Amino acid sequence: MESIFKGIEKLGPAGLVLQAILVSLLGIFLLVGFIVLRRWYRARYFRRRNERTVALRSHWDEILSGTISAEEWRFDPLDCNIVESILLDSIEMSSADKLPPLLDCLRVSGLLDMRIYQARTSRGWKQRTALLTLGRTRAVEAIPALAEGLDSRLRETRIAAVRGLGRTARTEAAIPILDRILTGQFDAPERSLKNALVNCCRAHPQVLINYVEHANGPVRELLARVLGELASPELGEELLVLAVDPLPEVRASAARALGNTNTSYGLPALHTLASDPEWFVRLRAVVALGQIENIGKIKILVRALCDVNRHVRQRAAWVLARMEPQLEQILEDVVATRDDYALQSFVSELERSGAIEKIVSTFDGSDYPSEETTLMEVVTKARKQVELTGQAAAFAAGAH
Amino acid sequence: MHLLAISNDTLFLYYVLSNVIYLALLIVAIVKNVRHSHRLGSQRLELVKASPFTPPITLIVPAHNEERSIVGSVGALLGLEYPSLEVIVVNDGSSDDTMEKLRQAYRLQAARILYIADIATAPLRSIYRSPVDSRLFVLDKEAAGCKADAINAGINAATSPYVCVVDADSILEKESLIRIMAGVFADPGRVIAVGGIVRVLNGSRVVNNQIEEVRLPKSAIEVMQVIEYLRAFLVGREAWAGFNMLPIISGAFGVFQRDLVMQVGGFRTHAVGEDLDLVIRMHRRLHEEHRSYHIDFIPDPTCWTEVPTDLKSLARQRARWHKGLIDTLWPNRDMLFRARYGRVGWLVLPYMWIFEFFAPIIEVVGYSTIILALISGVLSKSFFLQFLLFGYAFATLISIGAVLLEEMTFRRYSDWREVARLLIYCLFEHFPYRQLTMVWRLQGIWQYLRGDLQWRSMKRVGISTDTDA
Repeated sequence: MESIFKGIEKLGPAGLVLQAILVSLLGIFLLVGFIVLRRWYRARYFRRRNERTVALRSHWDEILSGTISAEEWRFDPLDCNIVESILLDSIEMSSADKLPPLLDCLRVSGLLDMRIYQARTSRGWKQRTALLTLGRTRAVEAIPALAEGLDSRLRETRIAAVRGLGRTARTEAAIPILDRILTGQFDAPERSLKNALVNCCRAHPQVLINYVEHANGPVRELLARVLGELASPELGEELLVLAVDPLPEVRASAARALGNTNTSYGLPALHTLASDPEWFVRLRAVVALGQIENIGKIKILVRALCDVNRHVRQRAAWVLARMEPQLEQILEDVVATRDDYALQSFVSELERSGAIEKIVSTFDGSDYPSEETTLMEVVTKARKQVELTGQAAAFAAGAH
Repeated sequence: MHLLAISNDTLFLYYVLSNVIYLALLIVAIVKNVRHSHRLGSQRLELVKASPFTPPITLIVPAHNEERSIVGSVGALLGLEYPSLEVIVVNDGSSDDTMEKLRQAYRLQAARILYIADIATAPLRSIYRSPVDSRLFVLDKEAAGCKADAINAGINAATSPYVCVVDADSILEKESLIRIMAGVFADPGRVIAVGGIVRVLNGSRVVNNQIEEVRLPKSAIEVMQVIEYLRAFLVGREAWAGFNMLPIISGAFGVFQRDLVMQVGGFRTHAVGEDLDLVIRMHRRLHEEHRSYHIDFIPDPTCWTEVPTDLKSLARQRARWHKGLIDTLWPNRDMLFRARYGRVGWLVLPYMWIFEFFAPIIEVVGYSTIILALISGVLSKSFFLQFLLFGYAFATLISIGAVLLEEMTFRRYSDWREVARLLIYCLFEHFPYRQLTMVWRLQGIWQYLRGDLQWRSMKRVGISTDTDA
């Protein structure tokens, strides 16, 4: 068998290895050259950009009012880019009353039309950039072009369109998204969809109710989750319907929504949800109870403190431990349950929140009537128990 | 003579193949990095921060004899921009003043908080909370002689669906958590773990526990490590993650789904390379359960870490890394070429066996046989020199490619003199530094075979933090 080395050697001095050396050396020179050139170009570009930004900023009012005609900056790519950046940043920071002159400048200069055209006709990164830029304009005429982006066969473009629509923060921008996800065929990350819908529907969450009613399965869950974030007291009874939904995720979202409404009519519904067969619905109900300012929740939470699920117990303890004025009463209620796990969870949370010292000092400062002395003993025992439980669990489970 | 020829041929093929694979990884990484940079341009981090759907996260900081840097590191972690954050420092039986420094800086108070050891760990001594910052908890536990045990204790105590493991001697950039979680947000149902980039802190200026100015370290040995880290993260990990074959998420900075980590039994106690081991076990379990998943790498969330400054410490670190590699590959050898483990079993694990584990052995055998062939006349001197030059030039090309990637994307070294230095050091990385690492990796193999899995301490300078007036 002839060695590969011999075969290559036969190629002579101008053989493969020599060629490979030359190619590698050429590669090294090209890479280094590219790095040097790129550095030089970027330094020059940013210096120029800085200069132009200062120049344009010094005439900003004239540019905005149109005293300086758009033609003077619009056809220089660098100037055009700088003006657009300044306009978009200003739009994002502006309140509704300051928006019209900025949008007028975008419209009159043709920048908005240019981006709409790019969103419709370009492909790849250019199209995606145009879609996101259109979203930042918050202009109503951008919505149809953004909606068209939702039908792109490229996932990245669809995501850009969803994000663009979300950035408009307009209720009408939610409609194309909702229409498409209702079909159940629309493929985009759930998180992007939820964020976009939250932004668009913040002012009018009612728009979601109709869609939730007609949606099924995961879409219904997604919409309920968004509704859960945006719920306002005006939604009222519609949320109560969701609290008895057959889908546990929807019931969990209903609990979240009821918490966000912070109204007393939610309490009976949350009472029911806190006994739901699904642990995460119970957990969500407990979290929601934490948001409601109604003393009637204590009993529900103390019951949740005895839940079979550890997460529900811990969360109930977390909420209860932060109800400062009622802590002594709650402690009595918890002791009355005679549930050691509940007491340990509660005491553990009191430790975590730092409230335990206050309770202990309250007992210390009292004249030790027999009931409080007993309570103090129970707390002391529970604190010791928590410590032992941790150690015992570590020892029992440990291989050490 | 015949044996020598075969050996030389094998070496030649091995060398060409390893370089071609690395070239392919470089090309994939360039494409992926450029795409990612485009995406970043449209990402608004403040929107992510404000989103109600951003999940809480627990940072776990295992600390063993970290008195020099622990207070600064914890301060930086608490200053991270993330809406719902919990920081759990696990003092792993430090024999120095780590615990005392924490106690003083954060006025720690013992708290009797329920701790359930779902994953077995060494016993806890106590749990502390800080009245200075309610997000901080410190677990003081007995030393188990391994970092994995400390991380497991942190996972047990964590209350968030995601945990992020961070080294105590590292600094995370302020937005790094939001940025790394962007990888999870892209597809929360599938993305179960994400790694961020680890960069070399040595030489940079740190003010108030944040990187103020990125500079290259002074000594050559540290600059070499800068290049190595760039190549390993920006090329290797980026490319493997592109094909969902990422075999490792650095123990210095990575996010994991807490439930999944618990399902696989947490970090393997006494694993030498616990980070590599965990990710391979996650691949194994998810493949066995036929679950659709993705383990991703995001190149912009940055963790700055101190690297060894002297040869002795570096040698220990590299030997340990290689022991960690064997320690993971060997127990998982049944995954090799098995259809149920998909591309992990067919591509990445064989790659790690052949081009990572066996690399120092093949290299040393190769050097010996080539010299023998040269002496015995099987190989001509001119060809030997040409081959050596080609190997050197090609490897340098890959290193410069990693610097190029850095230039095209994140440009952390803004001063052109720093980049020039990096490029110059690329020329020296493959001689003699590469040969040194080969020796250290061989030491690692030898120590592993002898059953020496001890974690040897490394000399650390510590993060020197300036304070703003």
